[in-house]
Amino acid sequence: MSQLIWNGLFVGSFYALVALGYSMVYGIMKLLNFAHGDIYMLGAFTGFAILGAVGGISPGMALPALLGVLVVTMGVTGLSGVLLERVAYRPLRNAPRLSLLITAVGASFTLEYGMRAAAGADPQVYPLRLGGTSAEILGARITLQQIALIIVAVALMVGLNLLVTRTREGRAMRAIALDPRTSALMGINVNAVISRTFFLGSALAGAAGVMAGAYYGKIDFLMGFLIGLKAFTSAVIGGIGNIPGTMLGGLLLGLLESFGTFWLGGEWRDVFAFGVLILFLSVRPTGLLGERVTERV
Amino acid sequence: MGKSRIAAVMSLAAAVGLLTAGCGQGLLGGDSQAGDGKGPIVLGMLIPQSGSEAAIGPYMKNAADLAVEEINGKGGVLGRKLELKVADDACDAQTAVAGANKLVTEGVQVSVGGYCSGATLPTLPIFGKANIPMIIPAANSQELVDQHLKHVFLINGTGSQQATAAMAWITKRGAKSVALVHDNTSYSKDIAVRTQKLLDEPGGPEAAILEAVTPKESDYSANINNILAKKPDFVYWTGYFQEGGLIIRQLRQSGYKGAIMVGDGSVSEKLASIAGDAGEGVFATMTQTPDTLQGAEGWVASYTKKFGSAPGPYTNQAYDGVRLAAEAIKNAGATDGAKVIAALEGIDGFQMFSGPLKFTPDHTLSAGGFQILVVKSGKFALQDALK
Repeated sequence: MSQLIWNGLFVGSFYALVALGYSMVYGIMKLLNFAHGDIYMLGAFTGFAILGAVGGISPGMALPALLGVLVVTMGVTGLSGVLLERVAYRPLRNAPRLSLLITAVGASFTLEYGMRAAAGADPQVYPLRLGGTSAEILGARITLQQIALIIVAVALMVGLNLLVTRTREGRAMRAIALDPRTSALMGINVNAVISRTFFLGSALAGAAGVMAGAYYGKIDFLMGFLIGLKAFTSAVIGGIGNIPGTMLGGLLLGLLESFGTFWLGGEWRDVFAFGVLILFLSVRPTGLLGERVTERV
Repeated sequence: MGKSRIAAVMSLAAAVGLLTAGCGQGLLGGDSQAGDGKGPIVLGMLIPQSGSEAAIGPYMKNAADLAVEEINGKGGVLGRKLELKVADDACDAQTAVAGANKLVTEGVQVSVGGYCSGATLPTLPIFGKANIPMIIPAANSQELVDQHLKHVFLINGTGSQQATAAMAWITKRGAKSVALVHDNTSYSKDIAVRTQKLLDEPGGPEAAILEAVTPKESDYSANINNILAKKPDFVYWTGYFQEGGLIIRQLRQSGYKGAIMVGDGSVSEKLASIAGDAGEGVFATMTQTPDTLQGAEGWVASYTKKFGSAPGPYTNQAYDGVRLAAEAIKNAGATDGAKVIAALEGIDGFQMFSGPLKFTPDHTLSAGGFQILVVKSGKFALQDALK
C-alpha cells in the first residue's frame, strides 16, 4: 500500500512539474500549448548534450553536477519557450482560437521531428545515471535519488508559487490572466510578462526533462508526447490556470495510475485513470481547485 | 485581396495535382513495360524508417541493398536487373497501408519487407489483391500465419516457435514461477500468451502473472510492483528494447534477484546500454544474428566494409529475403505472382543463414532456429543453441 502511494507520488511529481507550464500559459493566454511536452524532451536532450560535452563525472559528484546541469538546462529551455512564443504564438495573438491551437500542434511536430533530424531516431542513453539501491521505508522501496528528485521538484513548485503570489511580476501575470486589455492600460507590458511566463513554464519542463533523463536513463525524440498529454490531464483535474490545483492534479493522476495498475492490472490502468477523470469532470468541470468562471459583462 | 490569394493558391495546387498525376501515369507506363519482361524486376520493402522502431530500418535496407548488388553483379535474374524500392511503415498500421499501396502502384513484383507485425498485418490483403507474393523477413506474429494466406511466407521463426524456445530455457533453468510481461502489441502479446499456455500445462514451472505495460512511458514502477507481489523467480519480457531496458533496470532497482529474459524484439545493444549494469546476465530468445552465426565472417566483413558499421538485428533475414525472392523468380521463370508462389512452395534445401529452407504447409520455417543469448559486457552472446 505505501509502495503504491510512493510510486504514484513520484510519477505524479513529474506530471505536476510539466503540468505547471500548461496551466500558467492557459491561465494567461487561454492557449493550450501542445508543444509544452516537447520542451520537456528538449530539456532532456539539452542536459544530455551538456553532460556529453563536460565528459566524465565521478559518481560521487553525480548529484551536484546534475544540479548544475539542471540550472543551465532550465535557462536553455526557458529561452526556447520564449522563442516559441515569439515565433509561433505572438503573431497569432488576435487570430481565432482554433488557428492558435493548430499552430501549437504544428510547433509540437516541428520540435519532435527537428530533434529527430538533429539527434537521430535512436533512443539515447544518459551518460550520468542516478541509480542506487533501494531502502525500505515504511514498507516502501525508496531510493535516495528519488527523494532528492522529489525535493528538487517540490522546491521548484514552491518557488514558482511564491513568485506568482508574492511578487510584482506574479501580480502582473495574474492581472493579465483576468483582463489583458485593462492590464495594458494600467501600464503592464503584456508581451514582456507573457514572455516571462513562457520562460518559467518551459524552464520547469526542462528541469523535469533532465531529471527524467538522469533517473530513467533513456531519452528519445517522442518522449514528450505522452507526458504532455498526462500533464494536460493533470492540469485539467486540478483546475487549469490554478497553480496549487495543477500540482495537486499531477499527484492525483500519478496515484490514480498507480492504484489502477494494482487493482485492475496494467492493461486497464489508463481506462481506470481516465474513466475517473471523466466522472470527476462531469461532477466538477472546473477541476479540484479551479474557480467557476463568472461571466463578465 | 485575401480571396484572390486563396484562388491563386488553389489553382496552383490544382496544377501541381495534374502534374503529379501525369507523372504517376508515366511511372505506371514504365511498369507495364517491366511486366512485359523488359526493365528491372522491382522488389518492394516496407520497413520502419521513422517512429519508435526507426533504428531497425537502415539495417534491413542495407542488407537488402547488399543482396541486390551481389545478384546484379552476377547478371541479375532472368537476364534482368533487380531493383529495390523501400517504403516507410513507421511501425504503424496506417502508415504501413499507405506505404503498401505506394509500392503496389510502383509496380513491385515481390514484397521482401515487414518488421513490426502490427504494421505488416494490414498490408497482407493489399499485396494479396495485387497478386504480389510476400516474403516477410522479420515480422513473426502467429496472426500472420493463422489466416493461411497463399501469398504470405515467413522466413523468421514464429511466435509459437519462440514461445517453445522460451519454455525450453525456462525449464532448463529450473525456474518455478514465471512472470510474463508484454506491451499489448500483437507481436508481443502473442508470444507472452503462447508461453503462458505452455506454462499452464500441468507439471513444470507455473505462470505467475501476465502483465501488460503501456509502451513509450518511462516509469514502470506500478507494473513492477504487480510483478514483484507474485514473487516470481523468472521474468520474460516479450516487447521491444526501449521499454525492455527500462523494465530490466527498474526491476533490479526494486530488488528483484531472479532471472530475466527478453524476446527477439529486444535484442539490441541499446537494451543493454539503457539497462546499464542491470542488463548483465539478461537472457534472450532470438533467431540467429550475425554475431552468433557460424561461418558468416566473410559476409559480416563485406557488410561492414560497404556500410561502415557492423550488421545489426535482422540484417541476415533481410538479406536472405531478397536472395530467396530472386531464387523463386528464377525457378518460376517469370515474375507472375502465382508462378512465384508455386516456386516458393517448391523450394527445398535453399541455403540461408537459418539453414536449408523448406516451407511448411503454413508457409513458415520448418524449424524456428531460436537460440538463447545472454548479455555479456553490454553485448548479446550465445548462451545455448537449444539443440
